[in-house]
Amino acid sequence: MKKISDRSNALLVFLGILLVGLLLFFGIFFVKGEEWIVFPGNPYTYSGSQLSQGTVVDRAGTVLMDNSDGRSYAEDALVRKATLHLLGDRDGYITAPLLTEYASELAGFDPVNGVYRFQSVQTSAKLTISANVQVAALEALGNYRGTIGVYNYRTGEILCAVSTPTYDPDQVPDIAGDTSGRYDGVYVNRFFNATFTPGSIFKLVTAAAALENLEDVAERQFTCQGEETIDGGKLICNDTHGVLDFQTALAKSCNIAFGQLAMELGGETLNQYVKRYDLTQSLEIDGITTAAGQFDVLGKEDLEIAWAGVGQSTDLINPCSFLRFVGIIAGGGEAAEPFLVSSVGTKSKEIYRAKTQSTGRVMGEETAKTLQEMMANNVKTVYGQGNFGTLSVCAKSGTAEVGGESLPNATFAGFVQDEEYPLAFVIVVQDAGSGSQVCTQMAASVLRACTAALDAEKDS
Amino acid sequence: MILTIMTQLQLELTSWAKELQSLPMLDTVFTFLMRYLLLLLAAVIVVRSAISLLRFRRQPEIWAWVTLPTGDRLPVTHWENIIGRGKRCDIQVEYPTISRTHAVLTRYDDGSWTIGDAGSKGGVMVNGQEITVAALEFGDVFTLGGVEFTLVPITQEQEIEQAERRSEQTYFVQPGLSLGFLTLFQIFLMVSLVLHKDVSHAPTIFGTFFGLIATQWGLFWLQKLAHRKGYDLEVLAFFLTTLGFSIIASSTPAELPKQLFALWLGLAVFLVVGWSLRDLERAKLVRYFATGAGLLLLTGNLVFGTEINGAKNWIYIGSLSFQPSELVKICFIFAGTSTLDRLVSKRNIVLFLLYSGAICLCLALMNDFGTALVFFVAFLVICYLRSGDFATLSLICAGTGFAGVLVLRFRPYILNRFSAWGHVWENALTTGYQQTRAMMCIAAGGLLGLGAGNGWLRYVAASDTDLVFAFIAEELGLLMALFSVLSVVCICAFIVRSAPVGRSCFHTIGACAAGTILLMQMLLNVFGTIDFLPLTGVTFPFVSNGGSSMLSSWGLLAFIKACDTRQNASFAIRLPGQRR
Repeated sequence: MKKISDRSNALLVFLGILLVGLLLFFGIFFVKGEEWIVFPGNPYTYSGSQLSQGTVVDRAGTVLMDNSDGRSYAEDALVRKATLHLLGDRDGYITAPLLTEYASELAGFDPVNGVYRFQSVQTSAKLTISANVQVAALEALGNYRGTIGVYNYRTGEILCAVSTPTYDPDQVPDIAGDTSGRYDGVYVNRFFNATFTPGSIFKLVTAAAALENLEDVAERQFTCQGEETIDGGKLICNDTHGVLDFQTALAKSCNIAFGQLAMELGGETLNQYVKRYDLTQSLEIDGITTAAGQFDVLGKEDLEIAWAGVGQSTDLINPCSFLRFVGIIAGGGEAAEPFLVSSVGTKSKEIYRAKTQSTGRVMGEETAKTLQEMMANNVKTVYGQGNFGTLSVCAKSGTAEVGGESLPNATFAGFVQDEEYPLAFVIVVQDAGSGSQVCTQMAASVLRACTAALDAEKDS
Repeated sequence: MILTIMTQLQLELTSWAKELQSLPMLDTVFTFLMRYLLLLLAAVIVVRSAISLLRFRRQPEIWAWVTLPTGDRLPVTHWENIIGRGKRCDIQVEYPTISRTHAVLTRYDDGSWTIGDAGSKGGVMVNGQEITVAALEFGDVFTLGGVEFTLVPITQEQEIEQAERRSEQTYFVQPGLSLGFLTLFQIFLMVSLVLHKDVSHAPTIFGTFFGLIATQWGLFWLQKLAHRKGYDLEVLAFFLTTLGFSIIASSTPAELPKQLFALWLGLAVFLVVGWSLRDLERAKLVRYFATGAGLLLLTGNLVFGTEINGAKNWIYIGSLSFQPSELVKICFIFAGTSTLDRLVSKRNIVLFLLYSGAICLCLALMNDFGTALVFFVAFLVICYLRSGDFATLSLICAGTGFAGVLVLRFRPYILNRFSAWGHVWENALTTGYQQTRAMMCIAAGGLLGLGAGNGWLRYVAASDTDLVFAFIAEELGLLMALFSVLSVVCICAFIVRSAPVGRSCFHTIGACAAGTILLMQMLLNVFGTIDFLPLTGVTFPFVSNGGSSMLSSWGLLAFIKACDTRQNASFAIRLPGQRR
């Protein structure tokens, strides 16, 4: 009997396997449970292909989307149009990565309670954007195709990220049948997912590199005769500026001066700076992966480097990345990383709250300060302070030639130098013409909407 | 008359359910409370049973004494004892002329004894006569290798004292109270289900749950009448059965009465198998009958079987369907188990090997690979218990593995059944659909669950049989699913713990084999659901929806009852004072 009963311990081997396996599964459950909740087809999170949980509100609490009983968008048609590219459409042509990113939070998931809720309380995601600012930006862009983005370079909150053309998801137009071209690229979020030739706003990068590498650059004199022959080709300027200093060269956006600086710095140095400012990197913003820019100068001829240094050639920037770069200048060499979702939770319980993260110091303090002064000077001498009222705006415009029959892209980037309104902005308008002419008024009206939104928050 | 009362009762229950459902906030608050309370009750039930099953003092039963030439006496603590010089002998005697395994001393139901030579060098003599096997009376002198021993009975005082000592530190918990907790658990579960299901199902849910409660108390009182005190194994089995009822109430309430009926049949099998094991001589007779019946059932299945979900393991008789392979499990254990004297005298396992091979082949032909695997592992465990011979077992494993490879080589389509294994998330909409939904629902339920009747998994095919682990996790919480697994773990751990104080090899081997089958089924079922193993469609004992499975689960439990030698614990064990 003893022999036999000893052998019954064999059962313990199977018990061991079972218990170890079960323990392992509990571990996997805690790690992967969230993934299982947001996996497409989870009946608790999706109905069909759409998130069936939660509401999305703007920074003031305006409901932008409610998924509790099917999907419904904002009440106001303009708000619906202005936020379409953030929230996605019903058919899945425009995706909304930020909803997917927070799907498990919106479904109210935690490993202990699963998706159980005491009462049918909806979880709400609060975005950093302001519906009012979105609408203001949408109206400012009018019939143009383009994008306007604004963010707080101290906190990282994106107040505005509008992309046009757009449409009302509750009254979907006949896009496929349209021949007028007004819906060209309508499904693309131009702020996060597109890249554009930057034009002269890119001179800010060249200027930063020059300030940190060429000691005497601030005292230098440049001579512009309208064009310059390099390597048998021509670098052409927008005017014949004659003799001008560094600050004026930026204000007048002199291609000759900045082309010369670019050549002097060399492709390698420029490339280093573009990398340092993450302008050719994709950013991860609340589940959204921004389009990576392009800067292709290594091993190129001087002329190509000169054109690249003034934001032409094959340069491409993503508006969001560039906004972050302008934020770095505004913040004195470092800024907050932009984000879009400020918090997720129910009325009684907060599940997620965004934290401000710094880009880290990527630009010398002196360099940033000089650039700030130069951009302030731009507004004073070229764009007109009057446009912005009492706001001390610093900016740089650009007119990016894109070739073909299209008019140039008008670009405009800058910031408000005011700790009460630490706002950086970027504007890209396609097929529009001169940046300073097209964009100044747009910037002014969007910034007005932003300060109004921030003032309203202070009051409440 | 009865019909009118029934109809009236049905109407009453329905309207009561309606009223319950219409109370504002009742559902919300009740569900909220139940998520904690049900788990707490389950924990109490499982822990109480575990304490009782795993902490009892292993005080051996003494059946007689063997006096040595020195005048010392050694206790005889089993019905089947090996006498020899070896360290693992039940009666170890240190004399150089005695072989390591010298003789087998056996006690029978009627209190008579035999002694048999276990292939010793020195031989066995009874009262001076050289023998191979002979009856032994108290006072008889038997000689092993020239050394004389005497078999001496225990006195009545010793017997009484022993009974008292064995009762001490054995019963830590009152099984009646555990059953009370279980009843509370069932009532709460029932109300939860009624709140969340269509009112038309309320009478069925009320009826079957009360039927279940009445059944478990009925069995309890029946055993109490027979002066048996151990009810922990049954409490765990009824706990699992309750979880099964909850799943059926949530997925297909109309099948509840059928399951209750299956439970009754299962209990009948439980009592019959237990009764047959209670008398070893009877059990040996049943063994031959069962062995034949097992083969007959499976070949009948092969001939008359119907294929469902790729496995041809169903037989239809009119509208009644059952899976013969489930009943064969009981037959298989009967075939595999054996008494010690037979084991020592006939060491080969060839017959049993052939029998097992035939059964596994039948199952493979039916495409029921999960069950075949369960049988194979049970076979290995039985062989190991019987022979302790790793070399032979390795050889058998290698041979089987080789045959398996050959089969897959020539019938590669068999592999398709398991193609999703390990890749269910990549095939979430096709071959991995069931497992991915199961895991999604496990996550949705979290540790505490969404409330009985609130799940979604019921819309997935076979969720009430193959995916019950996930079903429990979704509605009653992953912790509840854990408790369900722990219940079976407890039962199996009990087998191992009580083996050293077992009476007969027949019972120990039977219990180990039954435990292995229960454990393997659960392992395949749970690990299949969570994609640790291929989903083979093996049932979770007591829980999965299905009559045949319920029948076999209770039948297997009877073998475990038969190894429960705690004082006055089990109906499948004759009370020590009783003589046939």
